[in-house]
Amino acid sequence: MSDVDFRTTIHGAQLSRRRFLASGGALAIYASLAPHEAFAQAADVTTSLDPTRSLSWIEIRSDNTVQFRTGKCDFGQSSIYIAYPQIIAEELGVPLEAIRSIISGDTDRTPDGGGTFGLLRVNVVNLRKVAAYTREAILELAGRRFGVPRDQLTVSAGVVTGAGKSLTYGELVQGQDLKLVIPVRGNATDFAGLTVEGNPPLKPPSAYEIVGKPFKNPNITAKVKGETLWASDVKLPGMWHGRVIHPPTLGSTLVKAGRLDSTKFRDSRVIVQGNFVGVVAPDEWDVIRAARDVAAATEWTSWKGLPGHDRLFEHLREKVDWTAVPVVNGSANKGNPVASLGGAAKTLSASYQVPYLKHAPIGPAVAVADARADGSVTVHTNTQNPQFLRKALAIMLDTSVEKVVIRTYAGSGHYGRSNGGTAGAEDQAVLLSKAAGRPVRVQWMRAEDVQWSTQSSALASDIRIGLDQNGRIISYQSDHFGPPMQDDRLLGALLAGLPTMGVPAPGMPGPHQGELLVRDPWVYHTVANVAEFGHGTPQIGQHESPLTAGLRDHSMRTPIQFQQNFPREVAMTEAAALAGTDALQFRIDHTGEPRIKDILSRLRDASEWQTRPSPSPDASSSGDRIARGRGVSVIFRDNGFWACAAHVAVTPATGAVKVDRMTLVVDPGIVVNPLQLKRQVEAGCLMGVSIALHEEVRFDEGAVTASDWIGYPILKMAEAPEIRVVLVHRPETGVHGQGSETSNALAASAIASAVFDATGKPVRRLPLRPDIVKRAMSA
Amino acid sequence: MTITVNGQKRQVASAPETPLLYVLRNELGIMSPKFGCGLAQCGACSVLLGDAEIRSCVTPVSAVASANKEVTTVEGLPARWARQQGTAAEGAALHPVQEAWIAQQVPQCGYCQYGMMIKATELLEQNPTPSDDDIRAAFTTSGPSAHLCRCGSYAAILEGVRHAVTLLAKKDGSP
Repeated sequence: MSDVDFRTTIHGAQLSRRRFLASGGALAIYASLAPHEAFAQAADVTTSLDPTRSLSWIEIRSDNTVQFRTGKCDFGQSSIYIAYPQIIAEELGVPLEAIRSIISGDTDRTPDGGGTFGLLRVNVVNLRKVAAYTREAILELAGRRFGVPRDQLTVSAGVVTGAGKSLTYGELVQGQDLKLVIPVRGNATDFAGLTVEGNPPLKPPSAYEIVGKPFKNPNITAKVKGETLWASDVKLPGMWHGRVIHPPTLGSTLVKAGRLDSTKFRDSRVIVQGNFVGVVAPDEWDVIRAARDVAAATEWTSWKGLPGHDRLFEHLREKVDWTAVPVVNGSANKGNPVASLGGAAKTLSASYQVPYLKHAPIGPAVAVADARADGSVTVHTNTQNPQFLRKALAIMLDTSVEKVVIRTYAGSGHYGRSNGGTAGAEDQAVLLSKAAGRPVRVQWMRAEDVQWSTQSSALASDIRIGLDQNGRIISYQSDHFGPPMQDDRLLGALLAGLPTMGVPAPGMPGPHQGELLVRDPWVYHTVANVAEFGHGTPQIGQHESPLTAGLRDHSMRTPIQFQQNFPREVAMTEAAALAGTDALQFRIDHTGEPRIKDILSRLRDASEWQTRPSPSPDASSSGDRIARGRGVSVIFRDNGFWACAAHVAVTPATGAVKVDRMTLVVDPGIVVNPLQLKRQVEAGCLMGVSIALHEEVRFDEGAVTASDWIGYPILKMAEAPEIRVVLVHRPETGVHGQGSETSNALAASAIASAVFDATGKPVRRLPLRPDIVKRAMSA
Repeated sequence: MTITVNGQKRQVASAPETPLLYVLRNELGIMSPKFGCGLAQCGACSVLLGDAEIRSCVTPVSAVASANKEVTTVEGLPARWARQQGTAAEGAALHPVQEAWIAQQVPQCGYCQYGMMIKATELLEQNPTPSDDDIRAAFTTSGPSAHLCRCGSYAAILEGVRHAVTLLAKKDGSP
């Protein structure tokens, strides 16, 4: 082992060089978990070139290629495979093509951990810093070679120039084993993973050449060719197939597990642990049929502990004790809304309801687990938070996280369901693998994915708005009532009676928010008196269920913010009508934010908005004649400003709502990739249209009653409206804007506002399904 | 039993009532058809049987064997296209639908897109110049169920099919 032949500190990062290598050479970047001591510890490591070393974040290789690793996972929104390469190449100063290798999500092969959310809001800061530290280390190496200080060097397309000389990054690392240790805080298994510390100099956005361009996502090519290995495609030697027999209700316990006809299903086994019942077999079709037989013969207790979807909002209003959980105050609260409402010339007081929603992935939850005799476990799956899943599985198995490895693959999008680790099947695969003594693949069937997955929780909101003589808002009050939205407990562990992460409750650390936060940032800054409150409660049925299950909730795209933005934006439209003002202009008049005024005025043009008060002069709430209307909504999320206009056609007699056109204007700050962002905005918007028109979880007093795509319908292609997208690129903000899910949240409020414009009748409850709209027409 | 998949005759040992999906994925290693619902409600498992889309999750492999028609999955689209063009199937270029899907960056998560590309291929073989309404109808009402995309890629799919139409027109030598 040769010694380190130099060490130096660059912007707080430690660069060291070890032996000269006969061939190859690289600069590898590692996280320093204890910033002041880790350098000495890291010096004991004998090699930094092993590509499986989990801590190398970025590697610059002597062939001028670059590899980077991220603990985040790709769910198809293009961040990992094209936005991140653009951002890293930009900050490093190399061409985009230099980034040849990306390792994503595997807990044993990536450094940083953390959930796959806010990829361009939070993690982008980490990546830019890691890349900037790396670039500075390259400059240090060049400075030593050229004999000039770093600040006299320039970088362009992977070449450093100074003192009349030029070398490529590859040439600068050639023949050396270079290690850069950068300061970080936190742990990879924390909910949000590691955070990079320090302030290496970042490239100013005004100098960007790669960020902002419409590159294609190479990952799409692999998927379209059929070359991608999906989580559901993973096969291990000796692997069997498993299915889980879930209880008939969300609170039933096992009386007697059914037996298996071993003459019919060769080699199949029933596995029972507490209330967890599974079947394993070598053949997948066999195990599906065997599980059906066992399910039919298995006895469970009956249970009732839910209000049923028809009585849900009555239950929330009348049965829940809202004093049990501390009330959360909105951060925009100011003035005296109660007194000012008393002095208002006109008032609006209305209640709004958003039902339970399903993430509803096209591919149900799937995982392959290999639980070995030595107590180690590897799980192959698609999850948004592999390190947190790893931690949860270690808790369930009463072992250390070192014993658990999560390998991740392409997977069906599930929109937040697994941002705390589990999507549903992983721990069940582990339990079956452990019992069977071999790798087991658990694929949930459609009914299980509808009935036993977590859901986005319902919210009931009361809004009161007071207007002065001139039609301006002088008082705004909102009270939001609903359960929390982050149950990361493992379902298999709950059923088996094994330890798991804490139940969502007040005072729980980390992501378990018992309190209902006020998550929709206030944007109407000119209103003098504002009061927003979040009223939380335990999950519905959780305490009543012997399994502590009930309706388990989990964040789903714009979690809690969507549910709070819907009532606010529909109420703003109704208040504008009360003021006799155009709904779009009313918003411009009440926001103090110039970027919102700008996107709204662009929206007016792009959507061909007709400026006039609502309802439309042709509004009709009865008969077969189609009534047309337009509505608008605004949201501020993840540093981005978004506005949306919906144009709809309503048939009052039937309650049918057809969405003709959706127009979105997005100012996310820096547009990293306009081609990908446009696709994300369109797709997110259509998921929002689906939520607006169709979606509600149906459940009775014990169980989710929907079991398939008929019971939980989503948007079909023929219902997809025309979509117009306007992107506003603002590099001067210095903020890399987050895309994708925000457009989800805008659709329902814009569509409901448009229905109000078309008919003169507010529809304050989602979805805007014919029966609900028809009822509102005759109210 | 013997079935023909992507130009190759394949012996099948699975039980005759086994749905084609499980035979393709677990016995023959053809992975592009995806499990979505097992109920013919979503289209993630779609394959072509001859010229027509079927849902492999509900079609017994014995029915495929007795139909005596070739099964085509996304893995087989390049060779299918090459055969139709009279060029070598070996190392064939991508099918115009696949080319269009890349050019238009159609997928979000992509899980449903294998079925979507199969549906697009079926449509364009029957009607190489579909209107937008024809395209919407194909993906909504022409099969056992609508083809569902949860990510909401329908606008991109529409543009993908339109793009494939232009590629087909060029390759036919028409103006």
